[in-house]
Amino acid sequence: MAHMTNPLATPDQIFHRNSLDSLPTELRDAIFFSAQCLTQAAGILLQLPQSVTAQANVLLARFWLIEPMMSHEFSEVSAATLYLTAKIGPCPCTPRDLSNVYAYLLSPSSAFFSSLSNKSPKDIPDDYYQSETAYQAFHSRILSLEHLILCSLSFDTTVSLPHPLAITYLQSMDFLHFPKEKIARRVVEYLNTALLSPQMLYLTTQPNGLAVAAIYNAAKDVGAKMPECEWWEVFDVDREDLGFLVVGMRSLEGWVEDMKGDGVLGKRKRGGMVTRKEVRQILERDRPQQEVEDPELAMARRMDDKMREIEGGAA
Amino acid sequence: MAGKGKSRWADDEEDAAREAQFKKDKEEKKRLKAEKARKLEAERKDREAAAQQQQPPPPQLPQESPNGPPPKRRRVSPEQETSTPSQNGAHLENITNPSNLLRFNGGTFSRSRSVENYDKLNDIEEGAYGWVSRARCLATSKIVALKRLKTDPKDRSGLPVTGLREIQILRYCSHRNIVPLLEVVVSDSTTPLDPSIFLVLEFLEHDLKSILEDMPEPFLASEVKTLLLQLCSGVAYLHDNWILHRDLKTSNLLLNNRGQLKIADFGMSRYVGDPPPKLTQLVVTLWYRAPELLLGATTYGSAIDIWSIGCIFGELLTREPLLQGRNEVDELTQIFELCGLPSEESWPSFRRLPNARGLRLPSNPTPGSTTSRIRAKFPLLTSAGVQLFNSLLALDPMRRPTAKEVLEHEYFRQDPKPKQEAMFPTFPSKAGQERRRKRETPNAPVRGQKAADLGAVDFSGIFAGREKEERGGGFALRMV
Repeated sequence: MAHMTNPLATPDQIFHRNSLDSLPTELRDAIFFSAQCLTQAAGILLQLPQSVTAQANVLLARFWLIEPMMSHEFSEVSAATLYLTAKIGPCPCTPRDLSNVYAYLLSPSSAFFSSLSNKSPKDIPDDYYQSETAYQAFHSRILSLEHLILCSLSFDTTVSLPHPLAITYLQSMDFLHFPKEKIARRVVEYLNTALLSPQMLYLTTQPNGLAVAAIYNAAKDVGAKMPECEWWEVFDVDREDLGFLVVGMRSLEGWVEDMKGDGVLGKRKRGGMVTRKEVRQILERDRPQQEVEDPELAMARRMDDKMREIEGGAA
Repeated sequence: MAGKGKSRWADDEEDAAREAQFKKDKEEKKRLKAEKARKLEAERKDREAAAQQQQPPPPQLPQESPNGPPPKRRRVSPEQETSTPSQNGAHLENITNPSNLLRFNGGTFSRSRSVENYDKLNDIEEGAYGWVSRARCLATSKIVALKRLKTDPKDRSGLPVTGLREIQILRYCSHRNIVPLLEVVVSDSTTPLDPSIFLVLEFLEHDLKSILEDMPEPFLASEVKTLLLQLCSGVAYLHDNWILHRDLKTSNLLLNNRGQLKIADFGMSRYVGDPPPKLTQLVVTLWYRAPELLLGATTYGSAIDIWSIGCIFGELLTREPLLQGRNEVDELTQIFELCGLPSEESWPSFRRLPNARGLRLPSNPTPGSTTSRIRAKFPLLTSAGVQLFNSLLALDPMRRPTAKEVLEHEYFRQDPKPKQEAMFPTFPSKAGQERRRKRETPNAPVRGQKAADLGAVDFSGIFAGREKEERGGGFALRMV
């Protein structure tokens, strides 16, 4: 059964995520989303199969429930998970390729996230040229991160993806002769998009649930007829879980639009991957506002007011 | 004494009053309780009605709120500890599982524990891929085997992929004839450059190799059958799950004092698919290596493990490794000497293998040279046994049986029947007390080595004097 199941996050792990690091939720979700996108972009440039890249996405999500986000550079954690999954998978990638691809993606010349600024970037090769020392340093950091990731997950690197299950499920359904290629395409799109979701759907649901929800959404989108009965129960998904997943998958697009509009990502001056330095700056900037709401200060202020009132009354 | 007064147990007015008060209290409580229940019931009904209004059936869900938050969040806060877990579990089951859906349980993930949770007792052996020692778990006092993964801090590709594969595969496997991986622990060392990783495995007292070396008499036929059956059932499980072991040999087969055999050391193993991917030919310890590997095949399948089973079968019968080649060419010579020279008939495609081009075989082979000599070498084996042995060591990988077919073989149904595991003799444990002796068997090939190119090899003379040899033992007493 192990090829159909995933280890899931415990409620404790999700609950204590807030205490792991003191990032505001919106910021944490933005980092999560950008890192997952970065992994996907790197996977494409490294010509890795999506099955490998998707596994890296899931491992990264698991890792960030164990280790605080701010303890390592986000892009490097993404690179290390990709390196690790490629290594144990069928098509390993060399550290040199990995380093080059990440240097390119993080440079202003790359198209990654540049859609924010609405102009295509100018290609300046000097931007992403990597010196030998820079490469060696990157390589060493990736290796130590690899070890850390493995220790944090107690060396359990198995990730079962819902994609093959979804195809199997599709084959057992008919959709009143609606062309299945269209649905299948949409299903895969939903499953891949769900990898990016900060709701961490892959860590809270078993693959069969994800597969059924993606089929449900896809069939809705293309207007295919589904069985009238509770067909999801055939695939061991109950209605409540399905409803949650359906909305979870659908809500992502709107969430990303919001985020890029006036959310954390929209407020940034430049495009590209979020860095730790940037996050520290944002936290720094937001701090004074937080101090006004400090309960102790508020209490002191109220006591001062009260004293003034009493004194005013006496006078 | 009786007339002195009333017994102090007899009722009096005071008691009666107290009882009345007690009754009144009880009734009052009952009334309050009923009222509370009524209220709760009403509230529940209200809530249900509200929920029904809020929650349309799923088909309408997506249109309701395409971008809004999900209507019903998964529980993300830890459960309150007011109710006992068993009650809680039953309760949940009642609510969420009305139609008996299958619940998949994949476990959870967490950080590795420290090796400090184990107390090292003694070293067992040092292999090509790591050190193994006996240890005791401090919490449970259970005896385990700790296998330290060999890592090379100078290796710039990070943790060895063979070690990671071993962990991945052992984590997946769950079968009574495969050594279970209990957990993976790490050392607390502060230097990240020298990470020590330990596999915590079930401890078994012996390995088959050292038992065979020390036995005054070989295993009985019934014992050989039991061991072979257990080995094949483990290998069948692996092959069913698309895993090739690629290093089956007697020193990798562990035996406990209850006669149970478990396959260990998955350092060479990997997942494969169908069609088989291109794989390295540098696998399996030389003495157990199949001829197609020696001839340089890069696509091979489960048949290479079956060949190794054949070699182990021979070793169980005689206590000696069956084919002890000094190098690749010598190994191949010994294989051909035992199993006969390959011909277009016995192995149709062997000429197409990379290393077969330089092979010079006798142009007109003598009648006996292409047939197997197993019958002659193992006169005590029944004909079903010989038939099984021959099929395991078929030169053509396509003609070797699958592990499942072996389990069904006639040989195991014949008398003597396989011995019950519980009836197995016990052996003095070496792993228990002292360091095991260094092995004389060659080690499994190291990853990244260059595969030996056999070059031009002349096999035309190897059967020169074969006709003069004796042709089998005629008949012999069967040993039970």
